[in-house]
Amino acid sequence: MSLAKIGTITTEASSFSELVCEHQTMVYSLAYHFLRDRTAAEEIAQDVFLELYLHLNELHSPEHAVFWLRRVTANRCIDEGRRRRRHPELQLDETYEIVAPSTATDLMLHQHLRRLVASLPDNARMIVLLRYQEDLDPGDIAELLNVPVNTVKSQLQRALATLREKAGNLDWKE
Amino acid sequence: MDHFEQELKKSLRRREPSSEFTARLLATLARQTRPEPPSRSPWLSLFGSRGLAAVALIVMILGSALMYRHEEQRTEGEAARQQVMVALQIASAKMRLAQSKVQNLSER
Repeated sequence: MSLAKIGTITTEASSFSELVCEHQTMVYSLAYHFLRDRTAAEEIAQDVFLELYLHLNELHSPEHAVFWLRRVTANRCIDEGRRRRRHPELQLDETYEIVAPSTATDLMLHQHLRRLVASLPDNARMIVLLRYQEDLDPGDIAELLNVPVNTVKSQLQRALATLREKAGNLDWKE
Repeated sequence: MDHFEQELKKSLRRREPSSEFTARLLATLARQTRPEPPSRSPWLSLFGSRGLAAVALIVMILGSALMYRHEEQRTEGEAARQQVMVALQIASAKMRLAQSKVQNLSER
């Protein structure tokens, strides 16, 4: 989608649906990896895109749209994480995902890693997702979450150390 | 990025939402952006159109009753004033009559 197009005709449903198709995987994945709940992730993604529709005229460029989507999704996920801690409930995906044993295949190793990421504190989890799912550097993450870059770096280092420690019994050799 | 981080990256690769996601989103959007019917006035909402007509009728009846009562009081007041005037005229006539009788007696 061209810059001029997003700036001028974004209020049209066709442009909006293009944005949805282009970025739904990013938004949904952030929410899914954060919450580990497909239904909740889709609900958050729906809310984020509905909010995007209301703010279409404020977006200056495709890059701004991506930034906006990541920021709103991150905030929604962190809010939902807090809400769930206040009202703990059984999450569907937790019921059938089994902890991988140390001799597991790649698929199970990745499943185990995702569980470990899910056990991180909210902010650290979001930082890890933005770093490794979205491939953002600490500066971009800091801008997105509106926190100092050193906070991002330290939280990322601490999160990685925790993950390495918890995953220590798994074989990471190629 | 070491091997652990590479595996972490692979494990956190993007995933597709369900196939109905886009259609459901656009349907929700269409529902939410549908123009609302013109809003009714709070009075109309409170009473309904029939209720409002009944209230108007009651106001008209009360107004007419008040006007009738006012007119009745005004008429009664006017009648009382007339009676007082007549009484004064009679008293005045009687006074004049008494005065003329007294004058007649004194002339004799």
